[in-house]
Amino acid sequence: MKSVVSTDAQSPQGTTDSLSSKLRRKRKNGVAGYAFVSGYFILLALFGVAPAVYAICLAFTSTGGHFVGLSNFIKTGEDFRFIPAFENVAEYLLIWLGSLVVIVIGLALMLHSIARKVSAAFRFVFYLPGALAGAASVLVWLFMLDPTVSPWRLFLGVFGFQNLGQTILPGHLPLIFAIIAFWAGAGGWIVVTYGALNNIPNELIEAAELDGAGPLQTAIRIKLPLIKKWITFMLILAFAAGTQLFVEPQLVGEASLGLISPTWSPNELAYYFAFQNNNFNYAAAISVDLLVIGLLCAAVLVFRTKLFEVE
Amino acid sequence: MRFFNRVWTRTFSYIVLLAFTAFFMVPVIWLLFSPFKTDHQLISENPFALGTLENLGHAVRVMFTFEDYSLLNWLKNSAIYSFGGIFIALIFSIPAGYGLAHTQFIGRRTLLGITLFVMIMPATALVLPLFLEANSVHAVGTPLAVILPFSFFPFGVYLAYIFYSSSVPKDLLAAARIDGCNEWDVFRRIALPLARPIVALVTFFAFVANWNNFFLPFVMLPNSTNYPLPIGLQDLLSTTPAFNPGQGGQVGIYRPELAVATIVAMAPVMIVFLFAQRSLVSGLLAGSTKE
Amino acid sequence: MAPVSLEKLTKVYPNGFEAVHEFDLEVADGEFMILVGPSGCGKTTAMRMVAGLEEISSGVLRIDGVVMNDVSPRDRDIAMVFQNYALYPHMTVGENIGFALKMKHIPKDEIEKKVRETAEILGLTEWIDRKPAQLSGGQRQRVAMGRAIVREPKVFLMDEPLSNLDAKLRVQMRAEVARIQRRLGVATIYVTHDQVEAMTMGDRVAVMRSGVVLQCDKPQTIYDHPLNLFVAGFMGSPSMNLFEVHLGEGGRTLFLGTQKVELPATVLAAKPSLVKFANKDVVVGIRPESLMIAGTKTNDNAKDFVFFEGDVDLVEALGSEILVHFSTDAHRVEAEGVYSDDAEGLDAGLITQRGEGVARVPPETQLVIGERVRLQVNPKRLFFFDPATGLALSE
Repeated sequence: MKSVVSTDAQSPQGTTDSLSSKLRRKRKNGVAGYAFVSGYFILLALFGVAPAVYAICLAFTSTGGHFVGLSNFIKTGEDFRFIPAFENVAEYLLIWLGSLVVIVIGLALMLHSIARKVSAAFRFVFYLPGALAGAASVLVWLFMLDPTVSPWRLFLGVFGFQNLGQTILPGHLPLIFAIIAFWAGAGGWIVVTYGALNNIPNELIEAAELDGAGPLQTAIRIKLPLIKKWITFMLILAFAAGTQLFVEPQLVGEASLGLISPTWSPNELAYYFAFQNNNFNYAAAISVDLLVIGLLCAAVLVFRTKLFEVE
Repeated sequence: MRFFNRVWTRTFSYIVLLAFTAFFMVPVIWLLFSPFKTDHQLISENPFALGTLENLGHAVRVMFTFEDYSLLNWLKNSAIYSFGGIFIALIFSIPAGYGLAHTQFIGRRTLLGITLFVMIMPATALVLPLFLEANSVHAVGTPLAVILPFSFFPFGVYLAYIFYSSSVPKDLLAAARIDGCNEWDVFRRIALPLARPIVALVTFFAFVANWNNFFLPFVMLPNSTNYPLPIGLQDLLSTTPAFNPGQGGQVGIYRPELAVATIVAMAPVMIVFLFAQRSLVSGLLAGSTKE
Repeated sequence: MAPVSLEKLTKVYPNGFEAVHEFDLEVADGEFMILVGPSGCGKTTAMRMVAGLEEISSGVLRIDGVVMNDVSPRDRDIAMVFQNYALYPHMTVGENIGFALKMKHIPKDEIEKKVRETAEILGLTEWIDRKPAQLSGGQRQRVAMGRAIVREPKVFLMDEPLSNLDAKLRVQMRAEVARIQRRLGVATIYVTHDQVEAMTMGDRVAVMRSGVVLQCDKPQTIYDHPLNLFVAGFMGSPSMNLFEVHLGEGGRTLFLGTQKVELPATVLAAKPSLVKFANKDVVVGIRPESLMIAGTKTNDNAKDFVFFEGDVDLVEALGSEILVHFSTDAHRVEAEGVYSDDAEGLDAGLITQRGEGVARVPPETQLVIGERVRLQVNPKRLFFFDPATGLALSE
């Protein structure tokens, strides 16, 4: 009573109706998928894709609606405020990214080498100012930078600053904005870097110790190379966000009695074109410049590092 | 030698960490202290001298009654914009994350890719384009011009996607299908009830982002009755004689009052921070902890 | 009419990989059918096609005579127990068990009654208001069972339901699952990679490899008459000893490495086709329990036995028996894929050594490592396979 499953042909049916069934099934499953993402898809189309497309359309047309090629980009590029705005932001980014690399990584390494409970407290304290991002942080720092009321007044006095006007001289702004950005944003990056360090298996660090590496050697030769991709991740995101600077110069400008240009950053310049000159096409051109920078950063992150999973 | 080396590195670490603690915390502490003092005391006294409750009462009274309770109005606006945005974002991002993780459809990977792109790109880059778009449909000045862009929150979709693909096994959903669920039931009865942690996480991140957002409401809402708190703060800044001596001093907004307004603006986020510390860290690391 | 019938069921993935090839199977009323094979052999895919969780590429699936190819899982009237149980974490034990009934819109009090009865059968009454996270592995397994049996379906599908339990519990649940299945009398398809489960639980066993069913029969029949090398090697633990040997003139002797072994005439009489392999290589198979140490106590008349020698390498005393690992200079044969999914990796590693074998002997046997022993086997218990095709030589 052995019954081997035979492989000889029995009934040729089943192939034809399986094809139509496959199509039917696919469609059914697909419909469910579309239904779940449809709402989000509409939001994405309306508030992600449409504004970008519209801005691009505006950037390539004149106020009258005629296609003008790159003319808007060239004219805004030749504007006397264009280069300084990008220079300002570049200077700011240099300081901000430099401090991220040196200080954030340094602090994360230190936190990683001390007791876990203590480091948790430090991390929370460093992270807390993140709650004051945006306008509130600028306001707080206007107080901090005003030698008449600042708790750092002695420190500011060392540099000879007597009043707010002297502290926030235009030449100081890149550094000041970098300090504000660091104050509000470094904590989050310290947490991320610390998390990355924590993912390094403990045995690896113990092995390095047994191999004779001191704390500094371990940090430089073992830990840093292993968190390299997170450092890249941090730098690209910080760079992308930094190019979009708006609220800081806007608010500090408000307090500077007109000392600071209302077109200090590219975004402010775009805003200025839109609201002071009513030239939406110029504004769109600069927005597209900034959009391209943002997209490039995203592209580098998505395609160059393998940090995000899309299966 | 090695031992001393170690002690020195440790001591050095603690000195640096404490110095940075001062850098991060002094502004916060100073801010919390300052409403207890008068503007004059702020200038003349030790920055960390204690003030009086009386002064606090005065500063709070002046600030809250300023321009017919503008501060409360801004607070209300901020709440409406933030939570309106979060509400819609949640309604759409949870099913979207589920759909991207557990259903098959043509264009799924493309949609995921675009989501990733838009998520990484700074939101600020889209503000002026959004304004131009809103302007072309005459929506500028309406609360919806802020709420709807807020409700588009790709990071929330990504978080939901990661959650569903890593923490909800396909077999669980298969079990529900065998137990008699159609696709909608599978989502509503199984996937949705399991989404609670992700709802909290998305709410948190969306809240912090929306509450502190300056640029978008700044361009979308020209009318002061529509201002959310950050724009309100800027408005105060431009009228206070503390930073603009030329302005009329009659409005009565000096540094202690400004500090009150700043505290009101930051308090909600600070409170959420204190309560959501854990989930927040996990969110920051989302994507890093592949399972 | 058979509750489940598979006719040339085939699964081809979009990338062209054929996971299941023309699978024919009929499961009778109340029958316990086991699909067994190493991981990746297509057994789970076959089951998921029956469940409706996997599309059927071609072939016909019938449940109770009705073609089910395009019917969604919820309308197939089947219940499934998943490997990881797939319990709804946000529902209590009671809600988990009653969920399918709720989806059928059965009145609340009736659901409650049935859930309570089911919990009673499985000894879960105490935990009925707990969430799955608060249960032990064994309890979760019972809930998963309860969820399936409460529905009184036409077919049970079980996908390695015991593989996540620890060894002791697995033995206990093995008997319990089998008992419940007999009691309910529902046709069952049970997927496992564990040949002990396959031997002990099922009415019939289908042994699969690479998407193809190699043999489908009663467990004892498969054990006693494996159709090919793979089935012979897969069923039974420790595995059957398989040596490539050279058959002498007329099939009266064989050469196990350099040893010349006399074959009694009864061997050739039982397997006349052996003659065709005279002066050729053939694979001989001996189950470890068929091997005895010559000279120790035995009730058999050892006169007609087959004898050969081996060096004792390792002695594993298991209490109830002793596993003797020995080596010869013959070439050992591996049936491809037998060990790929073996949990006892050490075991597999040891016996892949050249010329090694295992004998299962009584615990009182005295053995010294390194000693040369004489092994004997009843010629009736020898298996012969064609080394070219791997097929067993018919009697």
